[in-house]
Amino acid sequence: MNTACTLEALHKERFPTLTPDGQRMLDFLLSHPCAPLYRNRSGNRLLQHEVEAQLAYEREVASAPIGWTPGHPPDWVMPFVAQAYAGVPYYRAHGAAPRRLADVRPIGRADLAADVAQFVPDDAPLARMMQFRTTGTTGNPLVIPSHPVVAARYAAFHKRALRRIGIEPAHGRGQVGVVLLGFQQRCFTYVSVTPTMDESGLAKINLHPDDWRHSDDRARYLDALAPEIVAGDPISFTEYLTLPVTRPPRTLISVSMQLMPGLRARLEQRFGCPVLDIYSLGEVGPVGVFDAALGGHLLLQPGLYVELLDRDGAPTPPGVAGEITVTGGFNFCLPLLRYRTGDHATLATSAEGPVLIGLSGRRPVRFMTLRGWVNNIDVTHALEPFPISHFNLHQDADRTVTLRLAPAALGCADAARVALEGLFGTGTVRVEPLDAQDKTLQYTSDLAGAHE
Amino acid sequence: MADLAALTRRLAETPQEFLAEPRVAGHGEVAVAALVNDVLRLYGARAGAAALAQFEGVDARADRNRLALAMIMAWLLADEALSAARPAQEDVIAALSMLARELAAVTRAHAFVHDAERREELVRSVLARLGLRPHGETEAQSADRLSAISALQRRALLDASRKAEARARKVREALARKLAEESADKWTRE
Repeated sequence: MNTACTLEALHKERFPTLTPDGQRMLDFLLSHPCAPLYRNRSGNRLLQHEVEAQLAYEREVASAPIGWTPGHPPDWVMPFVAQAYAGVPYYRAHGAAPRRLADVRPIGRADLAADVAQFVPDDAPLARMMQFRTTGTTGNPLVIPSHPVVAARYAAFHKRALRRIGIEPAHGRGQVGVVLLGFQQRCFTYVSVTPTMDESGLAKINLHPDDWRHSDDRARYLDALAPEIVAGDPISFTEYLTLPVTRPPRTLISVSMQLMPGLRARLEQRFGCPVLDIYSLGEVGPVGVFDAALGGHLLLQPGLYVELLDRDGAPTPPGVAGEITVTGGFNFCLPLLRYRTGDHATLATSAEGPVLIGLSGRRPVRFMTLRGWVNNIDVTHALEPFPISHFNLHQDADRTVTLRLAPAALGCADAARVALEGLFGTGTVRVEPLDAQDKTLQYTSDLAGAHE
Repeated sequence: MADLAALTRRLAETPQEFLAEPRVAGHGEVAVAALVNDVLRLYGARAGAAALAQFEGVDARADRNRLALAMIMAWLLADEALSAARPAQEDVIAALSMLARELAAVTRAHAFVHDAERREELVRSVLARLGLRPHGETEAQSADRLSAISALQRRALLDASRKAEARARKVREALARKLAEESADKWTRE
């Protein structure tokens, strides 16, 4: 086959509705003199009727209430369960649909990893199926079946979260809507346009100097793009803070890792805009947005029911932390029934819906302090004042504590050590640099009883 | 001899309690071993702890459907006319254990309540295992009818399982395509 024809066909598949204006935006993003080396290709892949459906979906999600309270599954849950038991191979093998949600056996990441094809419904369209890979904090890669329509739906939940703080994304034709920041040795980077926003530009870039002709180009390029929204994680935002950017976005969206209050404050001060901290998972999409006034992450998906389960799979009593376990979701390629996320929190109610309080990745770890056992959340509180992107805190069997900090945060090593010594005792804490650039387990312990 | 119509009607009218969730590894409402023990008592039979242990579910995927079917069979076997026919006690135990295992491997338990053909299959299978046959049928006739109805079901199952395998293969292929790996853009990335 002719290579030019093939490339053209691929381009058409990535951007089925692209107009000359959209092409100009792609050209601008790719050929700007300060542009980074883009290593990959992607696109919105949405067909015309899907663009229209997405606009309707965004309107629906914008105003739909989350009509349930903790412990009381909403009406849509049992029909959803019945549908999964009828049309999803994994569940069909378990027999008839249970009559109560509590009788659905919870599943976890390992079940999906064993053979994710068993979780894809019989009627999920395969022709344009795609995948996302997540690694989580365990480092075990997991392939998530998805679809262009599912990827586009993320924006509906981000817009719902933004609307709460009075921001209505407005960048359209000829403007850049979103820049996603990574800061890794190797990063999937590409350019695209968002057809529901009149083909505003979207770029996923890696701030690592290896991806640029000159590291000063990073700020120049970001200023040239002047995006309305910059999305990233605490690691890439820590690097973003070092750049002499003069045209800040209207808002920052932080996902995928816990955003410490100290770093949030630095970001808000430096860029003069609000920072949304979104709890999001590859398997589930955006789950909740942090709201300090509510004391936690307000749930964002009207079609997602959340339970908190203990280690044995039983619901925890009201007010007691448990593993966040979800049913529903917007990914029609992977309907989730009682999926254990691996993250823990308690659930509270608010006028706007349920709120996850004290969210922490992985099972809580207890630490032995001067005042006895404390939960890792108390350790988080001690570190809150510092602009730390990521860290690991480990307690040895002899009770000594090691705090490993990202290199950029080593400036506050002494202050952090003093804060922790307030908990653990003078002379028991040492601080070391943390080498890992990616997600790490925040809390670990060799002390007997730490995982009770 | 047994009344096929009355027994299939009994299945169609299975009370909700017998369709509830069997207890498997701590999940579910009904302790199936206790239920089986009660039914065996109607037949003057007594099962030892070892025989009853198989009705304690351990793994949902392996046990849930079989135990759900054992519950439905317990309702069927609690029929007075059936117990009055005085089948051999070991045949009653074999029906609840082995027959339930065989049938549950190919059919969803609740289909034996909701689907007319499956109701007939279950009644005929139980009668055959108990050494009984429907009124008005010779041994050969009842054996033929059971074999026909089961063969149909097994064929349907084979087709379904072939289709399921083909579908899973297609899903894996779809996920492995280059464009699938490249994915579509999202506003954020976890």
